[in-house]
Amino acid sequence: MPASRNIPTLIAALALAIVILFPVYWMFVTSLLPTTIVLTRDPPLLPPLASASFAAYGEVFARRPVLTWFLNSVAVTSGSVVIALLASTLAGYSLSRYRTRGQQAAGFVLLLSKMLPPTLIVIPFFIMFTTFGMIDSLVGLMLANAAVGVPFASWLLKGFFDGIPQELEQAAMIDGCSEMGALWRITMPLARPGMAASAVYLAIVAWADFVFARTLVSKPDNWLLTVGLQSFIGEHAVDWTMLMAAGSLSLLPVLVLFLLLEPFLVSGMTQGAVTS
Amino acid sequence: MRRPLLAYALLSPAIVAVAFLIGYPIWLAVDVSLREGRTMNILRLDRLPRGWGNYARILDEPANWDALVRSAIYVVGSVTPAFLIGLGLALLLNRAFPGRRWIRSLMMLPWAVPGVVTSIAFLWLLDGSYGVVNSLLRRTGLLEGDIAWYARQETAMLAVIVPTVWKGFPFFALTLLAAMQAIPHQLYEAARIDGASPIDLFRHVTWPGIRGPGLLAVTLHSLWVFKELDIIFAATGGGPAGATETLALRVYLEAFQFFRLGSASALGLMMMALCAILVLLSLPRMRARFF
Repeated sequence: MPASRNIPTLIAALALAIVILFPVYWMFVTSLLPTTIVLTRDPPLLPPLASASFAAYGEVFARRPVLTWFLNSVAVTSGSVVIALLASTLAGYSLSRYRTRGQQAAGFVLLLSKMLPPTLIVIPFFIMFTTFGMIDSLVGLMLANAAVGVPFASWLLKGFFDGIPQELEQAAMIDGCSEMGALWRITMPLARPGMAASAVYLAIVAWADFVFARTLVSKPDNWLLTVGLQSFIGEHAVDWTMLMAAGSLSLLPVLVLFLLLEPFLVSGMTQGAVTS
Repeated sequence: MRRPLLAYALLSPAIVAVAFLIGYPIWLAVDVSLREGRTMNILRLDRLPRGWGNYARILDEPANWDALVRSAIYVVGSVTPAFLIGLGLALLLNRAFPGRRWIRSLMMLPWAVPGVVTSIAFLWLLDGSYGVVNSLLRRTGLLEGDIAWYARQETAMLAVIVPTVWKGFPFFALTLLAAMQAIPHQLYEAARIDGASPIDLFRHVTWPGIRGPGLLAVTLHSLWVFKELDIIFAATGGGPAGATETLALRVYLEAFQFFRLGSASALGLMMMALCAILVLLSLPRMRARFF
């Protein structure tokens, strides 16, 4: 059956998508509504649009340093993505083009990183950061997040470099290009989709970080958004509209990344799970 | 091959990162796990005597065995439904229909939502007083009164499993979908000509094609769930009365609530050993993927 006429499947898929996305929808809807509607025993599933407003966002900004947390998260995420991407692009290229001990080691390190509980690695991080006076340092958080991302990103990028024929570089070198020049001018531009996939992957993982952020930073002004969000919960009465507003805000960058770069993300997630 | 010097030069930033930020920390964790006694000053950890005391104490402590059982329930309870939902979605998304690319993207969104955010979204959905889930269950007649899902010992584990499944199924859906798309069309056509029913097609064509990647995905995802902290920590912190206290959570509480870094490290390293056993069991598949 041609795709355009397969309407029953489309309807089934849409219905499923609605169920799947309901938690996100509900978070956003709650953030828009006044408490009088939110705190009822049987809240309406389709909210009255007339009473929707962004008031809770203004309130949460005024009462908590949500904007500071948001910017801290942005800084740590971008910093760790840049560091990790730089190291893993070079490593991925090297692993793809040269036979060194690095190949076996890379597979081993990747497996190791999959087995390493974040709650364990954060203990020596805490000791090291205390020793070097790096507690409360956002740079320290960047390094910690970059480190856990490097093994996977290197290996992901190796896969992309494997797909770029070496002959292209050799041809450039015959035409008088240096080895680094060939890497820079020929291979890198071709590897951009791979770098985009790795960057999105690294960004989503760093943006979600909670264990490092909660342990290695203590001053509320240095918190990341995830830590700030969690701090709403311990209180006696949770202010749900404010919490859902802050939560929706934390999803904004994720949504942007996701909708803009989704094709790259999919290739990043499935790369290697299926040997092609 | 070509200049090995350049090969290692390009590798060096990654080697430095891995050596200083993964290798050394693991060594440090091993060292700390062998230090007996407690000190409030972590800069003096290395003055404590060495010994196997922490490991002995961990194995003696019944709460750790309870946590191991809870971890097993959490992993099996989260991975199984996530796999089945992912499989169902992959089968659906493997069919051609208008707007497939967009719907696929939307369905994958939960994977990208941070664990803490997932957790607070479900805390609100499953809230005992104003939660919309209770309301829906009451309106459909499935429930008489309200349930405080996270506050009751019998339901708390289920209430942390649900968000874990929600965050986990897209990984299976994508992996299995990619595997399905790698199955040659001719196999389906040939089977259809031989009069195979849709169930036959699934059992004899689709399943053999997705079994390998599927098992690998189950292994990797189980490791992830076993180590997962964010969802449980934000939702219940291990409570009520330890009902959701998994091993991963115990490691964290032991280290940063009770400040016993030694036994926390020892427990974390034992978790890693358990992960290694799981990996060794599926090594043939791992080898194909990583080496």
